[in-house]
Amino acid sequence: MDNFSALLDGFATVLHPTYLLWALFGVFIGTAVGVLPGIGPAMAIALLLPLTYSLEPTAAIIVFAGIYYGGMYGGSTTSILLNTPGESASIVTAIEGNKMARAGRGAAALATAAIGSFVAGSIATVALTFLAPVVARWAVQLGEPDYFALMVVAFVTVGALLGSSVPRGLAALSLGLFLGLVGTDTLTGQQRFTFGVLNLADGIDVVIVAVGLFAVGEALYVGSRMRHGPVKVIPVEKGWRTWMKRDDWRRSWKPWLRGAAIGFPVGTIPAGGADVATFLSYASERRLAGRERRKEFGKGAIEGVAGPEAANNAAASGVLVPLLTLGLPTTATAAIIIVAFQSYGIQPGPLLLQSESALVWALIASLYIGNVMLVVLNLPLVGMWVRVLRIPRHYLYAGILMFGALGSYALNFSPVDVLLLVLIGLVGFFMRRYGYPVAPLVVGMILGPMAEDRLRRSLAISQGDLSYLVTSPFAATAYVAIAVLLAVGLWLRRREQATGVAVTAGDGDDR
Amino acid sequence: MRSDNGAPEAPTTPGQPTAEAGPPPSDAPVRAHDEPPRRRWGELVLAAATAALGVYVLVAAGSITVPGSTNTLGPRAFPYLVGGMLVAAGVVLVVLFLTGRAGEEEGGEDVDPTVRTDWLTVVLLVVALVVHVFVINVIGWPFAAAVLFAGAAVILGARPWWRAALIGLVLGLVIQVIFGGLLGLSLPAGPLLEGVPFLRG
Repeated sequence: MDNFSALLDGFATVLHPTYLLWALFGVFIGTAVGVLPGIGPAMAIALLLPLTYSLEPTAAIIVFAGIYYGGMYGGSTTSILLNTPGESASIVTAIEGNKMARAGRGAAALATAAIGSFVAGSIATVALTFLAPVVARWAVQLGEPDYFALMVVAFVTVGALLGSSVPRGLAALSLGLFLGLVGTDTLTGQQRFTFGVLNLADGIDVVIVAVGLFAVGEALYVGSRMRHGPVKVIPVEKGWRTWMKRDDWRRSWKPWLRGAAIGFPVGTIPAGGADVATFLSYASERRLAGRERRKEFGKGAIEGVAGPEAANNAAASGVLVPLLTLGLPTTATAAIIIVAFQSYGIQPGPLLLQSESALVWALIASLYIGNVMLVVLNLPLVGMWVRVLRIPRHYLYAGILMFGALGSYALNFSPVDVLLLVLIGLVGFFMRRYGYPVAPLVVGMILGPMAEDRLRRSLAISQGDLSYLVTSPFAATAYVAIAVLLAVGLWLRRREQATGVAVTAGDGDDR
Repeated sequence: MRSDNGAPEAPTTPGQPTAEAGPPPSDAPVRAHDEPPRRRWGELVLAAATAALGVYVLVAAGSITVPGSTNTLGPRAFPYLVGGMLVAAGVVLVVLFLTGRAGEEEGGEDVDPTVRTDWLTVVLLVVALVVHVFVINVIGWPFAAAVLFAGAAVILGARPWWRAALIGLVLGLVIQVIFGGLLGLSLPAGPLLEGVPFLRG
């Protein structure tokens, strides 16, 4: 029960009024960026990384945890209420939730998404509380080649599974690995790919790359093909009564629990993060629905909102397990959180729970509290989020550009950084335009230097014997797992695309 | 920012600096999704550039100095690997393009899949960013930010332009007060606001 008392200490820290305010700030910003199209939690955290220069670590990590969780809540509001056809295949909630909203049941959809997120998020946080120390204790025994194997797993799955095309994912990943190479080699002190530019000797700042790709790239891409005219938000009926009827509760609670059970494990393995979890939950809800209910799928079945939204949040907690215990980011947001840790000189890994025990448990405690704040903040304030959703798009993207420029300028107060930002933003624009996923690039850039380090240390230990990399039982298992994960992941994605096509086809028939 | 979607679209004010950002001037009214999939040469350029970068990485990796003491994997090995991956991915993508399998462009809530790419907007947005970079040290951050915000908003279709300018100015000053004054970020306030105490940390 050592961990239990540590968790209680964590709560004692987080319940301090200052930290409560920071947590509130985090979940508030997180929900706002989740609601706003065009900004995700990865970008929001990247933009707020300059905060780490003036905040102490605990406060900053609490803010980032709040943004991370809040982004998951806010996203459902957007997909349920925003009336934009065309993107439904990628976000399953949009299929059912949007249909429910159009049928006048938007409040019920929002409520089941928010309460489901709360239930699953809480369950998953409990699971994280118990699992993280176990994994960390086991991970201490891992050697250098085992870590290298884990990172290869992350590279392969992130490169192959994030995005719609394997070669494009790998191209983005390699580009990220290249950007990670720029700078001074840590082991020998040699400069690599710095083109003799002094500024590049310390490497390219991840903040500039992340903000450039996510913020500037997105703004340029949307600007190039913007949907003009007023934003059409589906109106939501007011009042507590209409939120969820007894029947909605009856139909929602099982999908919530199943969503949590699916989402958390999927989140913990490097298999593409929350997207895969939401899709799996959607597919299983459809299969488990009775014959009559199954007909409702595609036309606004509440199970199709409750399950995937719960899975989404549970996966978000699951992602924190490899992040905190192995230092392994499996999504772009997790990679940016690692950067936040690093800017305090903290390296997430198996020793984190011992060396930074107070910080980690405060983080976990803040997840419990953030969850409560979010469910309180989301349901009654939905009117405000709808207003946020209605911000005219020209102001929204102008604001994104301005904050992006601020975030990169504030790094060193050097205009050169902002020029670099524009350049990377253009790269992001072309990547989006031609279907290259940007998340593998960010993950590759952050994880690349770590992987190189592990690889070279392994070979230094083995004195150049390459077989050392695969002979440890764990590493061997990991390489076998890559093959299995890839096969399963690609199969899942084919199914996902098939479902998306089927639903889109049904969509066309309605009109 | 206030939502003002109820306001009717004001007609373009004459004498406005960067107002030519409407629909693209040249293209005939052909809808992108009606025509057969076009070859988009930019995609080939991107794929080829990936491969070319890989070749460069492979070549440049050979000139990284290896200190004599390393008897195992030195600083060149990983760059060779990365260069090889770039070349492989680039070549596969070039082949995919030439065999007619183009990428799916990314969707999004605010992206209209039926319109063609408006290159003018992209160029003007980049210009706004570059102007912002060069005026920071001349007129100070809050005003440079206002220039960027107002410029980008007008380019993206905000009318009337003075409302965008006003919002930009207020946003710039508020951020200056919060980040510069309260959080102690040393954003340059500029010559106009020099000596205003609460703008600097």
